[in-house]
Amino acid sequence: MSIDARHVSKSFANYVALRDVALHVGQGELVALLGPSGSGKTTLLRIIAGLDTPDPNPETSVNVDGQDILDRSASERRVGFVFQHYALFRHMTVFENIAFGLRVRPRKLRPREPELRGKVNELLELIQLGRWSHHYPSQLSGGQRQRVALARALAIEPSVLLLDEPFGALDAKVRQELRRWLRTLHAKIAVTSVLVTHDQEEALEVADRIVIMNQGSIEQTGTPDEVFHNPASEFVVTFLGNVNLFHGRGEGSGQAPRLFVRPHELDIERFPSNSDSVTARIQRIQSAGPIVRVELTSDQIDSITVEMTHERYRELTLKTGETVFVKVREAKIFAAAR
Amino acid sequence: MAITSRHRHSEPVWMRSLFIGASVVFVGLLILLPVISVFTEAFRKGVAFYITSISDPLAMSALRLTVVTAAVTLAANLIFGLAASWLIAKFSFRGRNVLLSLIDLPFAVSPVISGLVFVLLFGAQGWFGGPLANHGIQVIFATPGVILATIFVTFPFIARELIPLMQEQGAEEEEAAVLLGASGWQTFRRVTLPNIRWALVYGVVLANARAMGEFGAVSVVSGHIRGRTNTLPLHVEILYNEYNFSAAFAVASLLALLALVTLVAKAALEWRIRVEERPAVMDGVMEEVA
Repeated sequence: MSIDARHVSKSFANYVALRDVALHVGQGELVALLGPSGSGKTTLLRIIAGLDTPDPNPETSVNVDGQDILDRSASERRVGFVFQHYALFRHMTVFENIAFGLRVRPRKLRPREPELRGKVNELLELIQLGRWSHHYPSQLSGGQRQRVALARALAIEPSVLLLDEPFGALDAKVRQELRRWLRTLHAKIAVTSVLVTHDQEEALEVADRIVIMNQGSIEQTGTPDEVFHNPASEFVVTFLGNVNLFHGRGEGSGQAPRLFVRPHELDIERFPSNSDSVTARIQRIQSAGPIVRVELTSDQIDSITVEMTHERYRELTLKTGETVFVKVREAKIFAAAR
Repeated sequence: MAITSRHRHSEPVWMRSLFIGASVVFVGLLILLPVISVFTEAFRKGVAFYITSISDPLAMSALRLTVVTAAVTLAANLIFGLAASWLIAKFSFRGRNVLLSLIDLPFAVSPVISGLVFVLLFGAQGWFGGPLANHGIQVIFATPGVILATIFVTFPFIARELIPLMQEQGAEEEEAAVLLGASGWQTFRRVTLPNIRWALVYGVVLANARAMGEFGAVSVVSGHIRGRTNTLPLHVEILYNEYNFSAAFAVASLLALLALVTLVAKAALEWRIRVEERPAVMDGVMEEVA
């Protein structure tokens, strides 16, 4: 089911969390809300869930499958919600955690015990935790807990699935595994999902579409490819990974253009191939990894990072302390500096 | 994998003996001896006298008043304590800190003062005393006064036990329950209450001990009317002042027994909590991470 939020604003006592935001998530899509902390992404998620209310405004609407859900309470919205810190019921077993949403249904809608067991076991199968059904949350690892939280949210057959920094509390390796697993799961069950994250790598890897937020507003929306290769603003380009900032030559009295260059869009040369090359000294070479990362300084710029293949690195035979020339192969320039 | 968590003691034997000995003497002199003396004094004139003393109608009426007061107090404080802790722990609102300080007030004020405040409010010359008396309701020198003073004095016990725990647990589990479709009552009964049940019972046990033993505040509001407004501690004092020592100790032993029951209940609870919260044995099944 699709989500369509319009004119959503939210201000708290001393700051504005959302400024007239609109969000559309298509049927079966997985959209990531990406932004630094304080950008309003979690507030937007909580408003969709019904845990927060937007500022009153007759134009504000939050539609799920074409129906405005704003005046429904959180318990009536039937959204699946996954918290960063799992929020599992600590005094219930894994089985009872997953069964909770079915057990609290009004008597008429509540499934019979055998039916309920079948349903919960099916979900346990899905999250590959069948043998843990009688354990308590405290006996599980972080990754396992988050899978239980996901199964619990899916048990109510939610209209939409909302995930609030679901991998934020996990260590790097588990996070990677769980990300892939979520991607495959989503391909299998295709429930309309919104994932909140501050990790650009996570958003780029998992999402069908990314919504980049900053200070309560949406900066850009697009597929991972679009936002990475065609960033709409300086904020987007700096937020989506390492970037070098060069100041170009101003033409006439105009302000000097600011050039944003990703480390892999730079090249190092022994001899300057054109007059735009920058003279720089190598500070550090990090060659352990799939690519070689070279850090340099120049007169104008404190820190330049260049990434190159191992082949190119061997070809250049670079050493720390050497003076070389840095050439910009490709750059992003934004008209109005924000 | 047998790693013992207990570290070895490096202190010399004489030092250990000294500390253990000092503790034993201290506990024996200040805690055990008085308890034993209560019971020996109570039985000084024999079992028959003991039974006569505690089955005396005045003693029985004091016991009845003490139990009724404790029961009403606990019921009231259970409701107030739960409501106040829930408000303070799960919401942020203006005046939250004022409420927190107010809850602590009874701990800070001398019980005698609290008693006097109630006399000022509900006494014959007090703010509400006159109007209430016109409707035939007497608070001071009557059971309601005793109950009011006891509620006031024991108010912080349950709330103080619950607030830190509820704050630590946060509101996420409740939010999760609501999002899964639970009503407010279902959320409270199935999520909030189970999470705080042991702290709640523990707070009740402590409040109960204090409610039964309270002297100062109750002494001011009760008026010491024998057979009507005397609680067990007050009755003990009267008997003692009348040089009726054996009877006084016999009644005191009743109070001590009530306290012992409370303590046993508390110990049993602590044991259960430890069993329930014992870290889970993993048996090497953690290989399946993530």
